[in-house]
Amino acid sequence: MENIVFGIGIAALTGALATVAGAAEDTESNIGSQGDPNSQVQLAPQMGFLHRIFNKAVAGEPPAYGLWCALGAGLAWAFMAMQINAVLAIVLGSVIAVFVQGVYATTAYLGRTASLKKFGQPVYVDILKSMTTVTMAHAFVAIFCTVTLCYLMNAALGHPFPLPLLGLLWGIALGAAGSAVGNPYYGKERQYQNQKFGAGVPISASGNIVRYAEAGERNSLDNGFFTAKLGGPASGVCFGLIVFLELWRTILFEKIGAGWGAIIVGVLMILVFTIIDRYIEVWARKTYGPYAKPEEASS
Amino acid sequence: MTVKIEVIAGGIPHTKIMVAGIIASLVCLYLSYLNVVTNTEMFSFFGGLAVIVALVWGSNTIKVLCSYGIGTGVPSAGMIAFGSGVIAMLLATKFGVAAPIVALVLAAVVGLILGYLSNEVLNMKIPAMVQSLTELAVVGAFTLMGFAVLMTGGFTFAALTTGTVTILGLSLPSFQATFMGGCLIAVAFMLGALAIQHPFNACLGPGWTQDRMLMLAAECGFLSMFVAAIMSFALITAGSALISLIIALVGWGYTYMQYIEFSKRDAASWLDAKPIPDVEGQ
Repeated sequence: MENIVFGIGIAALTGALATVAGAAEDTESNIGSQGDPNSQVQLAPQMGFLHRIFNKAVAGEPPAYGLWCALGAGLAWAFMAMQINAVLAIVLGSVIAVFVQGVYATTAYLGRTASLKKFGQPVYVDILKSMTTVTMAHAFVAIFCTVTLCYLMNAALGHPFPLPLLGLLWGIALGAAGSAVGNPYYGKERQYQNQKFGAGVPISASGNIVRYAEAGERNSLDNGFFTAKLGGPASGVCFGLIVFLELWRTILFEKIGAGWGAIIVGVLMILVFTIIDRYIEVWARKTYGPYAKPEEASS
Repeated sequence: MTVKIEVIAGGIPHTKIMVAGIIASLVCLYLSYLNVVTNTEMFSFFGGLAVIVALVWGSNTIKVLCSYGIGTGVPSAGMIAFGSGVIAMLLATKFGVAAPIVALVLAAVVGLILGYLSNEVLNMKIPAMVQSLTELAVVGAFTLMGFAVLMTGGFTFAALTTGTVTILGLSLPSFQATFMGGCLIAVAFMLGALAIQHPFNACLGPGWTQDRMLMLAAECGFLSMFVAAIMSFALITAGSALISLIIALVGWGYTYMQYIEFSKRDAASWLDAKPIPDVEGQ
């Protein structure tokens, strides 16, 4: 019984860490304009909309965070193998992983922007300096929390995988959660604010992203500020739930049926979530849809 | 079905880069065998150099493959390179001193099969597909082997799976503290997979230039070598790891500055805290 209480405590702690990691990850990728909204930021200068948005296309978020977290975990593993204290090892590992992230971000921005010479998009050195450091700070929070939760799984819950492999797996999961939950909010609610709500992006509006503020010009920090309110926490809740429920079902039901108990509960949980998702979708369509026809909307 | 949207214009021809890449990575991998000959770990840094050479070659291969309109497939090209390369690399480590050659042959076979499957069975019909996937598999195998050498000092299966843990002054053999047992191969996989796709992914566009992309490939290689060298402190002697670390730092600093210079050369303009310029037609 004590074992289970201890396990649930660790699961709660890792869930909390994952929530913070998810929120930081989504804000980081939105400031860097990573993930699928990046295609419009990349397209904008080609359509004549020059902008001051950071364009940090390293890869999709899942592979990128797979690397940052695997790297942080691998370095932490190596430092622990050198008999360095675990807390210090995780911090040092995350710091070096963030350094790599920052270098990748600067080279991505410089490369993408320099290749847009034909369309007159300038490289903004001030954007490079101010945005990279902010994304690095957010990435540090995300990587540190993820590596810590991997360490807790490995050391406290006795997960059989070594730390670097856990870092890779949970890093990819973190990137996927931030990408799936946070990006629609950043892409549609932010970059396409000047389109009619729910209108989609017609070809004539391609690349016409939000570039000007109430006064002056927007940069990516404003985007991070905007999405930190809802998109970031939603991604955090998503990743936190994934981590917590995954550990919760393993700790409580692993002993039943030689491990099959946890698998059956996992399948049941997927079914429950599918039913909830379906219900919300049908409810949203009934309440807010179908979309009005253009002539009705314009009247 | 697929339309070739851009061709390689100017720069070093791809065949030249490929031949130079194969020879230079093989030579670097075999130079690391000096570790066994001299019974030290001082020559581990040759593994890192093999990684850099292979990545430069691989990034140009990705450029060739992705010129056929596979825009969003650039990061996945890096993943398939290492997914196919890791099979060949692991199997090859069982062949002792012949490992790099065996990795080359095995990876080429795996790549050929994958290229055939994607072109004929999945019907992608991309002219450069078979050759590019073959090359990418070899690049993946060489890069992983290079990282293994850099971190452990050897490319044999025994070197990757036997380590020691020091407890209270006693040295005990341990599988946990190794390249394979500690799963550092997962880190090497991701380091390589992102480093191989990043140069083209970052430099693509109408203003693409080959020298800038290849310089970025070398920069990514040195950066990966830098972090791998830090991890190697856990597995090889501190002096040997320090040699790798210093070479990686110097190389990274040089290539990074060069890349910034090239970007400055290619960019439309280089502004600091200036508003969005007016363009015609707005």
